[in-house]
Amino acid sequence: MSEKSTPLLAVLQLLRKYNLKSTEDILRKEASLGDVECESLDLPEVELASILTAHHTESDPFTYELAYDGLKKFIENSLDLYKYELSTLLYPVFVHMYLLLILYDHVEHAVSFLEKFGIEQEDYYQEDLKKLSIVKHKDQIKGNELAEIYSTNKFTVQLSRDASSQLKRYLHEQKNSSVIINIINNHIQIEVHDGPGRTQAQVRATAGGVLGEPMKSENRTKVYYGLLKEPDIQVLPAPVEDEEEVEETPDKPKKKKAKKDNLFMKKPKSDPNAPPNDRIPLPDLKEIDKVEKGKALREASKRVQLGPDSLPSICFYTLLNSGHTAISCDICDDSTLLAVGFNNSNIKVWTLTPIKLRGMKSAEKLQDIDREAGDVLVRMMEEKDRDTCRNLFGHSGPVYKVAFDPFKTMLLSCSEDTTVRLWSLQCWTCLVVYRGHVWPVWDVRWSPHGHYFASSGHDRTARLWATDHHLPLRIFIGHYSDVDCIQFHPNSNYIATGSSDRTVRLWDCLTGSQVRIMTGHKSTIFTLAFSVCGRWIASGGSGGDMMVWDLSTGGPAASLPPAHTAPIHALAFSRDGTVLSSGSLDCTIKLWDFTAITDESPIEETLNNPIPKEDKYLLQSFATKSSPVKGLHFTRRNLLLAVGTYESSA
Amino acid sequence: MGDSELAYGSSLTLDSMKVIAESVGIATLGDDAAKELADDVTYRLKVIVQDAMKFMHHSKRQKLSITDIDHALKIKNNECQYGFIQPDSLPFRFASGGGRELHFIEEKEIDLSEILSAPPPKVPLDVSVRAHWLSVDGVQPTVPENPPPLSKEAQKLESVDPISKLSKPSNKDSAGKPICGKAARLKASESVHVKQLATHELSVEQQLYYKEITEACVGSDETRRAEALQSLACDPGLHEMLPRMCTFISEGVKVNVVQNNLALLIYLMRMVKALLDNQSLYLEKYLHELIPSVSTCIVSRQLCLRPEMDNHWALRDFAARLMAQICKTFNTSTNNLQTRVTRLFAKALQCPSQTNNETGPSMASMKESEKTPLASLYGAVQGLAELGPEVVKVFILPRVRWLGERVEGALSGIGGADRLAAGNLKHQLLKVLAPVVRQLRQPPDQPEDYKRDFGYLGPSLQQAVSKIRSSPSCSTAGGAVAVVTCTPPLLPTAPSPSPSNISHTTKTETVTTRNLVIASSTPQSPAPSTPPPQKFVIVASQQKPTQIQSSSGTGHIVVHSSQPTIVRSQNVQSVVVTSGPAPGGAAQKLMVVGVQPQHNQGQVSQAPVSVVAKPVFARGGGGPQPPPELDDLSHLA
Repeated sequence: MSEKSTPLLAVLQLLRKYNLKSTEDILRKEASLGDVECESLDLPEVELASILTAHHTESDPFTYELAYDGLKKFIENSLDLYKYELSTLLYPVFVHMYLLLILYDHVEHAVSFLEKFGIEQEDYYQEDLKKLSIVKHKDQIKGNELAEIYSTNKFTVQLSRDASSQLKRYLHEQKNSSVIINIINNHIQIEVHDGPGRTQAQVRATAGGVLGEPMKSENRTKVYYGLLKEPDIQVLPAPVEDEEEVEETPDKPKKKKAKKDNLFMKKPKSDPNAPPNDRIPLPDLKEIDKVEKGKALREASKRVQLGPDSLPSICFYTLLNSGHTAISCDICDDSTLLAVGFNNSNIKVWTLTPIKLRGMKSAEKLQDIDREAGDVLVRMMEEKDRDTCRNLFGHSGPVYKVAFDPFKTMLLSCSEDTTVRLWSLQCWTCLVVYRGHVWPVWDVRWSPHGHYFASSGHDRTARLWATDHHLPLRIFIGHYSDVDCIQFHPNSNYIATGSSDRTVRLWDCLTGSQVRIMTGHKSTIFTLAFSVCGRWIASGGSGGDMMVWDLSTGGPAASLPPAHTAPIHALAFSRDGTVLSSGSLDCTIKLWDFTAITDESPIEETLNNPIPKEDKYLLQSFATKSSPVKGLHFTRRNLLLAVGTYESSA
Repeated sequence: MGDSELAYGSSLTLDSMKVIAESVGIATLGDDAAKELADDVTYRLKVIVQDAMKFMHHSKRQKLSITDIDHALKIKNNECQYGFIQPDSLPFRFASGGGRELHFIEEKEIDLSEILSAPPPKVPLDVSVRAHWLSVDGVQPTVPENPPPLSKEAQKLESVDPISKLSKPSNKDSAGKPICGKAARLKASESVHVKQLATHELSVEQQLYYKEITEACVGSDETRRAEALQSLACDPGLHEMLPRMCTFISEGVKVNVVQNNLALLIYLMRMVKALLDNQSLYLEKYLHELIPSVSTCIVSRQLCLRPEMDNHWALRDFAARLMAQICKTFNTSTNNLQTRVTRLFAKALQCPSQTNNETGPSMASMKESEKTPLASLYGAVQGLAELGPEVVKVFILPRVRWLGERVEGALSGIGGADRLAAGNLKHQLLKVLAPVVRQLRQPPDQPEDYKRDFGYLGPSLQQAVSKIRSSPSCSTAGGAVAVVTCTPPLLPTAPSPSPSNISHTTKTETVTTRNLVIASSTPQSPAPSTPPPQKFVIVASQQKPTQIQSSSGTGHIVVHSSQPTIVRSQNVQSVVVTSGPAPGGAAQKLMVVGVQPQHNQGQVSQAPVSVVAKPVFARGGGGPQPPPELDDLSHLA
């Protein structure tokens, strides 16, 4: 008796509490309780609530299936105009229904619900559903990464005005079941936009984020995506030209000169989208850096123009005997050094030119050197060292990323041991250990102007550092899951991050705020690359899918056909910005026509027809001999360097 | 549940939990507790694996490893699993019985003392960087570092279904062929009217390559030939030239068999070998050209101009090995390759009179010309022998008696070539049959039984078998053995041993620290005018670094010979020369047996290294022009 009647008694207590006399009488009569234990009803408030929630309408497991089925039918039968927009509602509703069923202890129903409707969800959500399906108890919701994301954040759905009114009308009709209404109220943010409903392709283009699409307001801030004005390097043109003329045949120099003038003329043109040069304080160029820059310009003047008809040559560096141990690599900007990070905490640096790697002389010897000498930098290096490869030891976990600074005097590395280390390539020792991340650091990148660097990791944050501070200057928080990759904008003012929550975000280094959030990727993002002009960003994911985003709008500019069959871990733009190369674990390197990708994007917007020309984007694919591609780099003359590890079939 | 269970994962069973509980000393675990535990453990395991996936991805791998699990445990503040280091994937075994199924990881018991006493493992090779061109101006060069432009599977598909090539999108992945100028125009025109099923035009580079390779392969420059064969054996991207190569080989064999040009036949067979060795080629399509060519080189009646001198036996041996390799690689249940090849050889061994009478009279009544030539018999025996002992048992053993009669007939007859052939055939038969007979018969080997069962070859076979039985390790002994036998020509004009031969062998003696026996014997040939044949036998003991062979000289050499033998060697501890039991009139035969120094002296029977003198090349002594095959044969041996 007591077992069964406790809920009824609880109801009685509630009725009395609100002083609903007649209802109480009717209940008594109907349940034939009599007025016996009225006084014994003195349940504490909390228990009362828990008893009552158990009999909340939402707790009836059968209503869920019915309600979901009803919603599905409504969406299927609605006009094509609204159909696709409305269908984005299905997934969040489905997820929250599953979580509610778990929450109310209807595990069997939850499992059968998942089995029945799980397969119908979009393919890119299947992986998430698999992760979610392991949650089978309400205690597990708390603590599960994905379940927590869903239960503590709102899923954003964008609907046109008409579609949302359709939805409202439908929900109004469903008086008997408040399940969906409650879910939508509590967990879904519906953003209404003016204009016609979007097509299937348009909906699909931006769908895929863990929490749906971004709010429109989040992408309103202006982004200064233009390039900075390059400081004039007056010192150099003279020697540059001299050398040029020596190299050129005597009948040609005039033409060459004109061309180079052109090159120098172009740079100073001010870009309306460029940030002011002093928006972010940048370090002054040192004498040696200027020499380096001059070299770069000289090299750049010799580069090959690439295009669909003139594909780059690819030089492939195979790491032999490395098996699965080599996990990260970088080639310095002037393509003379190769650094590889290993599974066993080791970092190796190879020279790719006949110039050997030299260490600095000992302190006593350094004192003897004339500091005013012009070649002091050469003199301070040990002449006897003739190594082609040097090791850097210090980390205590796999080295997930190594990065050369723009002037190739330093190297950054990040590791599973939660630290970022700065190494000197002159002393060949560790200079600084940056501690700040709490969990493994996945990626670290230099600012193109040096001094700053950014790191990202498993702790869902990205951080901006300066080499002379041991604490981060900015911490960028917002991603819902691991921040798997990070990249500096060419003008050093912004940082882009890609994450396991399938969003790409752009952060302002000055304010530390998020200025763009871009959804549309269907899998975890492992690599990012800014185009040379700074307006576009390309991203590659674990499913082998690639996307190109327009920073000015924050929308996807193109979704490249999924040509890769394994995660993409390397992207590189050619130095003239015409060819995008991608390297994947499926042992292929693919070249994409980036001019075509960006040319067509305005047409797409007008015609609303983005799909058909995609086949034209892929220029060529090169397979390697069972060597997954782990790094790509364009030299200043537009030769593509690729790094991979040979993995024998055994 | 079936499909959905796959889609959303499985869980640990109650039974597993109970077993695990028992293993930690909890005898009675209630069902409820087990259920609760199973659910929770399943959940936690899955979470850990999900986290480990992140580490796997960031290690740029596609296979989860134990270190990933360790790192995932670490970020959950759990202790790592120690001692589970396994570089390869663990084989997951399955066993069932008593209505229960069990999946387990096989854990072998390791003997620690064995590990301690074992030599330290080799230091792994250091990581090194190697650069090559993956693409030059958008064209992928077909170098060994790059994958073959058309994978074996694709080549196979193309041969099975040629239309697939047409339906493929225009060559996005094409490599090795520059798409420019004419080719591009050609492609454009092709897209208008598709008539040809598969294009077979070769680029200019490929034509040049074909010309160079074929010239080098049959030319006289041995270093170039080696390079060409290396290229054939290693280069990817030869598939487009393959039809032409195969035609080249088959036509070449046809012509050179008629002309009895042994050298060229050898070159062509070496080309076949190189093509077979090339991993990136799908040869199946061209077997109809290659197999007849190879089998021709095995069983042809005559392969050289002077059968009594030229060593066409080596070519037959080599081609037989090739055939065995082909059979092993390409035999499938549909093409029945091995069966067909076996039948071919078996037919050659067929005795015309085998069905009615197996004894002499019918043989004698047959004309000499009707018989299968001895050389062909040799080839057929060799071909069958390479296919394995089972084949030998079924196809050669029943015909031993008949073959013996042929050998006997030829040996007692006149004609140097026939006698040589018969000697070789006999030797070959003994070598092939002895291991098989050893398996078949029980130890007491009575010469009379053998004589009864195998006819003429019986006694020799019995000797060979008992020799194998007495030295069990002989087949596995790893001693390096080089046998050089020079049989001087049976020409009356030729003088005693040619200086070139001697210098050749003495050079070997000085260069290597191997034991060397040079035995010279006078033949008991009925033709008195022939000069004594020379046999040089070089025997090397096992080349183990631990042996003191180089300093004092080891190895006991036993020479069975019916003739006086000169032994010139400082490095041999003991030399036993015995008179061979071979009946008079048999060809000179040298049995050289090297004994390891650990054995007692003079223990001939326990010789771990048995060397059978084998004629490797024969040539005219002091001939003005050395035949080109001299240097080739070292490759074949």
